[in-house]
Amino acid sequence: MDDFEQKLKRSFERWPAPPDLKRRLMENRRRRTERSPWFVLPFAARVAVSLSLGVGVFAALSAGFASYQAEQQRKGMAARQQVLTALRITNHALDHMNKQLAAHGRANQE
Amino acid sequence: MAHDWQPDFEQLVDEHQSMVFSLALRMTGDRGLAEEIAQDVFLELDRHLGKIESAAHACFWLRRVAINRSADALRRRRVRGLHLCVEMEEHHGVQLEPRTSPLGSRLEGLLATLPEPQRAALVLRYQEDLTPEEIAATLEAPVATVKSNLQRGLKLLRTKAANNLQEYVRPKEYARGV
Repeated sequence: MDDFEQKLKRSFERWPAPPDLKRRLMENRRRRTERSPWFVLPFAARVAVSLSLGVGVFAALSAGFASYQAEQQRKGMAARQQVLTALRITNHALDHMNKQLAAHGRANQE
Repeated sequence: MAHDWQPDFEQLVDEHQSMVFSLALRMTGDRGLAEEIAQDVFLELDRHLGKIESAAHACFWLRRVAINRSADALRRRRVRGLHLCVEMEEHHGVQLEPRTSPLGSRLEGLLATLPEPQRAALVLRYQEDLTPEEIAATLEAPVATVKSNLQRGLKLLRTKAANNLQEYVRPKEYARGV
């Protein structure tokens, strides 16, 4: 080491850390641990929990959608049955009316 | 693999806070930012404490993360230039005077004007007294690159010192005169 390097070495001694650095650090550490256990979990665990929650939410939404579709289908079938019943009743009434008209026509001819 | 060494976070902070803070301060030239980086580095150490295998490993890990975090912070804030000298004197106030000579503090100011890789190599060489091989391991760079950065940084610093610092030039001129 030459003279200049010696000067550099002397100039580049470590600075003392700020007196309250450690206190604030320990405070941050304590707050971080207390604030949210979530951030204390390892990264892989957080990813796993997030994925599980995501899959759960997706499954619930899918189940809800399937149930909604089944309900709509059931309502559609019921409405179809009601229309068919109404058509049967109308058909029956019209048949009855035709028979009466035919009977009335025959009576007039005689 | 199991290891016997049991890390004590508080003890690690006591032992290495000065090193981490000094590395961050010399790399960024900003006292507030250096404190922030030191806090981040130790909080990250706390998260990775289980992976630290020995006291030497802790020291190596802290040096590397402090340099990396400082480089990240510099990329974000680009704190550079000769203003550092004034800034450091303003921030450190009376602390500068008893510890280093005015020449010393101005050399630190000139250090801040060097390109980042050269500054990192010089700080690790002259503050931490590391060999080029140890610096290469810390910075995860080839030894040849580190040696080149050390040589170039030193040459540049010498030139800047000769041009800017009267105290550095004068003794040579006197010596020539005598």
